[in-house]
Amino acid sequence: MKPCSIPGLIACTVLLGAVAYAQSAIEGRVELPRARATTVINKRYEIVTKGGTLSTNPPLAVVYLEGDFPRPTAPAMVQMAQKDLMFVPTLLPVQVGTRVEFPNLDDTYHNIFSYSAAKRFDLGRYRADERPIPSQVFETPGLVTVRCDIHDHMRALILVLATPHFAVTSEEGRYRLAAIPPGRYVLKAWVDSRTVRSQPVEVVGNATLRVDFP
Amino acid sequence: MKLRHLWILILLVATAPAAEDFFDRLRETLSVSSADGQIGARLSGTLDVESYHFQFPAPGLIYTPDTTLINPRLAVFCDTQLGRQFYLFAQVRVDRGFDSSDENVRTRLDEYALRYAPGSAGRLNLQIGKFATVVGNWVQRHGSWENPFITAPLPYENLTGIWESVAVRSSGVLLAWAHLLLVPPNAKAEYADKHLRSPMIWGPSYASGLAIFGEFGRLTYAAEMKNAALASQPESWNFDHGLREHPTVSARLAYRPNLMWNFGLSASTGPYLRPAALPTIPAGFGLGDYREVVIGQDVSFAWHYWQVWLEAYRARFENPRIGHADTFAGYAEVKYKFTPQFSGAIRWNRQTYGDINHAGGRRPWGRDTWRLDVAPSYRLTPQLQLKLQYSYQEEPDAAQPTRQTFATQATLRF
Repeated sequence: MKPCSIPGLIACTVLLGAVAYAQSAIEGRVELPRARATTVINKRYEIVTKGGTLSTNPPLAVVYLEGDFPRPTAPAMVQMAQKDLMFVPTLLPVQVGTRVEFPNLDDTYHNIFSYSAAKRFDLGRYRADERPIPSQVFETPGLVTVRCDIHDHMRALILVLATPHFAVTSEEGRYRLAAIPPGRYVLKAWVDSRTVRSQPVEVVGNATLRVDFP
Repeated sequence: MKLRHLWILILLVATAPAAEDFFDRLRETLSVSSADGQIGARLSGTLDVESYHFQFPAPGLIYTPDTTLINPRLAVFCDTQLGRQFYLFAQVRVDRGFDSSDENVRTRLDEYALRYAPGSAGRLNLQIGKFATVVGNWVQRHGSWENPFITAPLPYENLTGIWESVAVRSSGVLLAWAHLLLVPPNAKAEYADKHLRSPMIWGPSYASGLAIFGEFGRLTYAAEMKNAALASQPESWNFDHGLREHPTVSARLAYRPNLMWNFGLSASTGPYLRPAALPTIPAGFGLGDYREVVIGQDVSFAWHYWQVWLEAYRARFENPRIGHADTFAGYAEVKYKFTPQFSGAIRWNRQTYGDINHAGGRRPWGRDTWRLDVAPSYRLTPQLQLKLQYSYQEEPDAAQPTRQTFATQATLRF
């Protein structure tokens, strides 16, 4: 499977199963927390010139449909890049079994690692032109905090989900899940590691359900 | 609360299931920024507890008459970005002395600097304040979290016979200060004047002054004008003397052919005597006649789970009465990450001394020394690291001609 480009990630995830249930959808809005302080890079003993110094990092949420869904027959592949001393994206939901590539698009080393219980790994230091791009397969549902051993301000989250139906909200909190098979589910909104809101929903054929998470 | 109890409490908190999330939230709490994101500040730090076990007299820059030492240290960093062009940083430490010692706990402002980067390409950066030297490649990893070892490499901590408080008047005095005239060697005498002696480069050398640095493609340059020589003690680093009258000028030029390799050349020159030593200087001479001249070469390599660093220095301590006293020092250091959390490092260090004229002949003015350091480390969490170090050193004819040092270090990062 061809890797999804980073901007197209949300579209990629929502397109799963779109052929069978083109008209069923859930959309709405999640109330997001206040924006966090911007990142300040530690430049004490280095010359840091490119980007990343004052980028905003708006809060986003992941909305997903909890239920008993089969694993994909062909594992998906997505990317979380390192660019301008930041992770892009900083929040990445994936289905269990997805392979995530970590391309280094900077002209400096990174050392990506995670000690999270859901996935423990360390990719070491690799050049931008090395192939294959270092990657990891995420097999256990849960939250994985990804860090850089060299740049301590860099942090990203990978939310490993046992469902193919998920979407990252916009910065305004808006989301849309399309191609949902009819049925009863629990719709969840992951806001941060301590805040997950949920609502029972029933999806009927060819209808768009509106669910807000205040 | 005893230090041991405090550390057990920290260990329990840091390894608790929710600790990773707690420290990430703490990090957000310790960050502030303006609404438009143009101004931001962040507090961070490390809490270290080190223990040392060694034979008397204490090695390197460890100051205690005992054979064991517990050394706690809190370092708090403040990084502030003011728009794209200004960057301000400071480091405050609470510990028992800049170097490990048995003294009372005190608080110090070790580093502070304002950086101005007029362009966005990084070609020109100007910095003023009290900050680490641009010389060599060890400074970038001298913090307890980044350093694979607990102690510094030999060039940065092995004490020579040079004092910065008194000018050497004869070769015999220099040999005596290097403890070469003690027959048989005497450990108590070797320790007695330890606080007066200087290494080739004193740790990261947080002296005060100005720096200019930047990069042009694969070339990096850095130059600084500071108030103290590389060998100067921490007491001489403060911004209160020496910058205008007797500055130390240092520079480093580095070439990075690719991400893996980095080759650097460094040089430094400046008076190694502090102004208080003026009365001990013979008539007709001044501080400028007692210069430390250092040239150095450094190489670093990193790829996948390997990291390698090499540095080699030659330092010349000029003395108009006895001529030049030269010393050579270097080390090779390799780190390998065996698992995501377990790493190991090994370092070979060597320092040799040139000859000076003495009693109608020539003889070295210090004892040639070599040391092997081995240090495994384990990161329990992204915020908590445990490190061990074993060092074996040989210094023939010293009070301890073979020396073994065991050290442990626990670091909590926030």
